Amino acid sequence: MSTMDLLGLALLALFLVLMLLYAALGRRWPAVFRPMPALDGLGQAIERAVEAGERVHVSLGTGSVIGSDSAPALAGLTVLAQVASATSMGDKPPVATAGDGAMAILAQDTLRTAYARAGALARYQPTSGRLLGPTPFSYVAALPTLLATEDISVHMLIGSFGAEGGLAADFGERRRIFVLAGTDDVQSQSLLYATAEHPLIGEEVFASGAYLNAGPLHRASLRAQDGIRWLIVIMILAGTVLRTLGVGL
Amino acid sequence: MKLGAYLLWAAVAAGAGLLVLLGYFVDTQVILGLRLLLMQWAVLLAAAALLIGLINLLAVHYRKVSLQEPGWPYSALLILTFLVTLVLGLFFGPDFQVVLLLFNYVQLPVEASLMALLSVSLLVAGVRLVARRRDVFSLLFVGTALIVLLGTAPWLAAGDSAVAEGFGAVRAWVTQIWAAGGARGILIGVALGATATGLRVLLAVDRPYGD
Repeated sequence: MSTMDLLGLALLALFLVLMLLYAALGRRWPAVFRPMPALDGLGQAIERAVEAGERVHVSLGTGSVIGSDSAPALAGLTVLAQVASATSMGDKPPVATAGDGAMAILAQDTLRTAYARAGALARYQPTSGRLLGPTPFSYVAALPTLLATEDISVHMLIGSFGAEGGLAADFGERRRIFVLAGTDDVQSQSLLYATAEHPLIGEEVFASGAYLNAGPLHRASLRAQDGIRWLIVIMILAGTVLRTLGVGL
Repeated sequence: MKLGAYLLWAAVAAGAGLLVLLGYFVDTQVILGLRLLLMQWAVLLAAAALLIGLINLLAVHYRKVSLQEPGWPYSALLILTFLVTLVLGLFFGPDFQVVLLLFNYVQLPVEASLMALLSVSLLVAGVRLVARRRDVFSLLFVGTALIVLLGTAPWLAAGDSAVAEGFGAVRAWVTQIWAAGGARGILIGVALGATATGLRVLLAVDRPYGD
């Protein structure tokens, strides 16, 4: 095992320890997060959708489960579970779409579990979680019909997107509905910043669970991220100073 | 919640995830072999899941057609083209002339035109952004995009005038220093967020596979 491998493993272990520590201290030392207008507005938009008998759409993106781009979609599934719990008694169930077969199955499982927990399993429809198109652009080509025909008033894009993410957000904006969008790819984030009314920048897409009260470990992991980030900042600064002073690293 | 089943799924997910994760750090044949095997299983499962996803896609659109829901003609067209492509691909293979024709003259142009639509959408979105979200960051965003566009545009970049050189230098300064630095900061945040998400799945706090 090389030094870099050891360092990586140690950093992961530290991350895990910090998460568990913050989760244990969570009640005595509650987390205070900065306001995030996009996620603050989401709650009100969902309430309005339920009252108006309209539907919430959660898009899990066009990434696959086994790829390196699965993380934002996993964060999207957490959001989907929270949305399904909040809207389980609404007239119309939320609809979750993906561009990958396995992700569509996970969306169905997440919805079924959320309905079972809310005691409303009878209201669960397997077609609420669906594959919209197996390629990025076939996925996005199917979105306008979905938005127009299923009474969708909240359009959330939380998953992995390429350039097609810009179009996916724009289709929602054209219908003047609530559009919240976040992804992991930096270039796609810039597209979403321009096209979506409520963009999530950087790691904000991964913070959505903590902001939507998905559980104490979500809040703890956000605090652990901040701790590790400070550590990385200190290491970068120390490396810069040492390098400037001519110390070899 | 069935506790036994939940524990079993959680143990399978956490165990497989830990083995694959260890494969990135520990250089022993046993771990590497197990990691490779698990990845091969995952690829097979993903292929099976794609098939299930396609059946789900057909089921959703069949339901729309049978209930005559709004937009059902589009669903009917999807089912028809899906079945035609599937039958042709299964019986004659992906290199069959008609399949290639469908791909090259239907799917490819449609996807290319969607890509072209994106540039128009972005222009409209840029104007809309300034009109709707008129804050410092939005103006900075649009201003930077304009500078980069002017510095990249062939009618300016190809010339050797002082204006072209000036725009080129500003573009390089913006993209190589400010944008690259900002992107690296964002990437560190994204990496940390992805790690936290992965650890939550390994700890079975997030269970996308259900209870």
